[in-house]
Amino acid sequence: MIWVSWRQHRSQAIAGLSLLAALAVFAILVSTSMRTAFSHDDLAACLARSEGTRCPAAITAFMNSFGSVVNISFWGVLLVVPGLIGVIVGAPLLGRELELGTWRLAWSQTVPRTQWLAAQLALVTGALVLLGAAITAVITWYREPMDRLTGHFINRAYDFEGLVLTAYILCAFGFAVLAGLLLRRTVAAMVAAFGPWLVIRLVVEFMLRPRFQVPLTLRQSCPQGCNATMGLDTVPPQTGHIGDWVLSVSISAGKQVATTYQPGSRFWHFQFIEAGIFVALTAAALGATIWLLHRRAAWTA
Amino acid sequence: MFRFRLDGSSGVPPYLQLVHQVRQALLLGYLQEGDRLPTVKEVAADLVINPNTVVKAYRQLEHERLAGGRPGQGTFITAAAAPVRPEAQDLRDSLEAWLRAADEAGLDEEAVTALIAVARRDLSKEKESAR
Amino acid sequence: MTDTEGLMTQQGADGGVPALRTDRLGRRYGKVWGLRDCTIEVPAGAVAALVGPNGAGKTTMLQMIIGLLEPTEGQVKVFGQASRANTTQTLARVGYVAQDHPLYRDFTVAEMFRLGQAMNPSWDQKLAAARVDALGIPLNRKVRRLSGGQQAQVSLTMALAKKAPLLVLDEPVSSLDPVARLEFMRDLMAAAADSALTFLISSHVVAELERFCDWLIVLCHGHVQLAGPADDLLGDHRLLTVPRATADSELPGTVIQRTDSDRHSTVLVHVGAVPLRVQGHAGWQADPVSFEQLVMAYLQRASLTIDADPAPAAQRPGPSAKAVTR
Repeated sequence: MIWVSWRQHRSQAIAGLSLLAALAVFAILVSTSMRTAFSHDDLAACLARSEGTRCPAAITAFMNSFGSVVNISFWGVLLVVPGLIGVIVGAPLLGRELELGTWRLAWSQTVPRTQWLAAQLALVTGALVLLGAAITAVITWYREPMDRLTGHFINRAYDFEGLVLTAYILCAFGFAVLAGLLLRRTVAAMVAAFGPWLVIRLVVEFMLRPRFQVPLTLRQSCPQGCNATMGLDTVPPQTGHIGDWVLSVSISAGKQVATTYQPGSRFWHFQFIEAGIFVALTAAALGATIWLLHRRAAWTA
Repeated sequence: MFRFRLDGSSGVPPYLQLVHQVRQALLLGYLQEGDRLPTVKEVAADLVINPNTVVKAYRQLEHERLAGGRPGQGTFITAAAAPVRPEAQDLRDSLEAWLRAADEAGLDEEAVTALIAVARRDLSKEKESAR
Repeated sequence: MTDTEGLMTQQGADGGVPALRTDRLGRRYGKVWGLRDCTIEVPAGAVAALVGPNGAGKTTMLQMIIGLLEPTEGQVKVFGQASRANTTQTLARVGYVAQDHPLYRDFTVAEMFRLGQAMNPSWDQKLAAARVDALGIPLNRKVRRLSGGQQAQVSLTMALAKKAPLLVLDEPVSSLDPVARLEFMRDLMAAAADSALTFLISSHVVAELERFCDWLIVLCHGHVQLAGPADDLLGDHRLLTVPRATADSELPGTVIQRTDSDRHSTVLVHVGAVPLRVQGHAGWQADPVSFEQLVMAYLQRASLTIDADPAPAAQRPGPSAKAVTR
């Protein structure tokens, strides 16, 4: 079944590798100039000594050059890509077999259909994990200079580094496989899986992630009046420590600043929690798929 | 090689058609003792029919001692062509005379065939009631 | 039809295990029974036809025989072994050509065979390669670039190369043009001659069925209407021509279908193996029945009696179990 599964997913594998290659090329181009600028402006030394407070001009210059490309547009585009990868690979796995009727060929050979499905899922899931890890590695390397300024807890970095990217892909994949079984159509399954995936993705990121652990609060008094310009995305952030994730900054009575934040040390803890959520969803979707396939009687489609 | 035909609309079962064709060929001299009949596979592919039908026909021919299988070699005609009996020749002559008379009386082919069918039926009724 | 009887006993007394036996097989979808109370037997080596209109339950029955579908009630036995849906042992025993012969269109013929080899321990690659070679189908051509007839041939090759003793084909020629149809059947008959396999072919076309099958199963509205050796079934029925006034009760055997004209009626009756005597009845005539007439009569009768309790199917026990050897 290894060869069968590989051959059925060959074009997807090639597309995935091409995507990875294109990403790598882009990453090399941009990251190289980033690294050059970084060392040119001697930002490393400045950060080591002062968390960036001593070289605001250099930091501003760096951010102006690379901020929009590396932070905003990148995230906007790439937010959906793990979902797309997952549904494009997952929807045809069962959806196409049922849509085209090839299930009557595939499941009447000497391999029982649950065994067929298990083998397919094992191989494709493994490949997606590898792809996810590779994309994560490329992006992590790419963002490395910027991460030294912003930390990797902010969502533009967090979403692509660590474990969660792979987990996002797997969840979309799981949803799409189940949708393919239920709807018996490839494109409809892609749409039906992507929607819920996106909703869950955004809900987890914006509503749950800030609260995975109770945030800390830092109160600072500012006798000379509080500098309202120190905000959520400054270098360094309000807490004074690069890597912390500032959730909110509030000024009270003009004299006190209260900053709620998640400390940078919690990054991996949060990654595990969030990845765990999406992997659990994946397992539930794939488990339901296997169970339904085993129990389902006939497909008259 | 001897080639069979199949008439899909004749109402005669296929295996009997094959048997009849061999009997007919023997009578007419187109098949002779020692001739090899085509293999089951050849007939099945040629006529696009069930090979079991061919097997059945060949078994019937064996039963009638007209043909026999030699293991590993095929099925061969075992009977010599039956000599034309003198009575048969007489019958043939009177039949030709009758047909000529029917033609002169204005009967077309269909009428002749219908007449023969009716006469046959009457004859078999006679034979049955005689039993 | 004493010829037939003589031949049957000549086939030898070895009963042999039937290639296929179903026992009161049934399948329910929700509240509706797609198939009910189907008991049939197909001897080893036979080429059997499963005939019925679309929606009769043919595909349902075939999928239960293959092991793709679990019966709601009843049992399937292939060569004496009970079948359990979706298990390796059951799937290995039956080769299948599904309707429209599905294949992976992006695969080459060679890759389809590689799939067959990967998924079937009993795969005979030599046979597969030799067959497509003889048919002139290149191994490295993608399936979507083959003609419909060639695709059907590749599907058949895959089923044959699986080396299962029973081969099931679901309407194998209904999607083919007439030439491809003839070539496919020619090839199938040659394959049948070459091997000791048992074939079960479903069709909704009755014409020309006689030349292909020696075993007949007529299915309509989810029930078996008629089943048995084709020649014997023909011998069991007569087409009677009787005066119009003759009542059904006066007729021998069971009336299957009756057509009334002004002065006479044509009645297709099932009389069994008992020889029929029509003398003594004025104006009666008995003629043999054609294959097509027989099948059509049972199909039409089934449609008429759909609400009534279906009469037990006309079956032929006993000699049916004997294997047909080629």
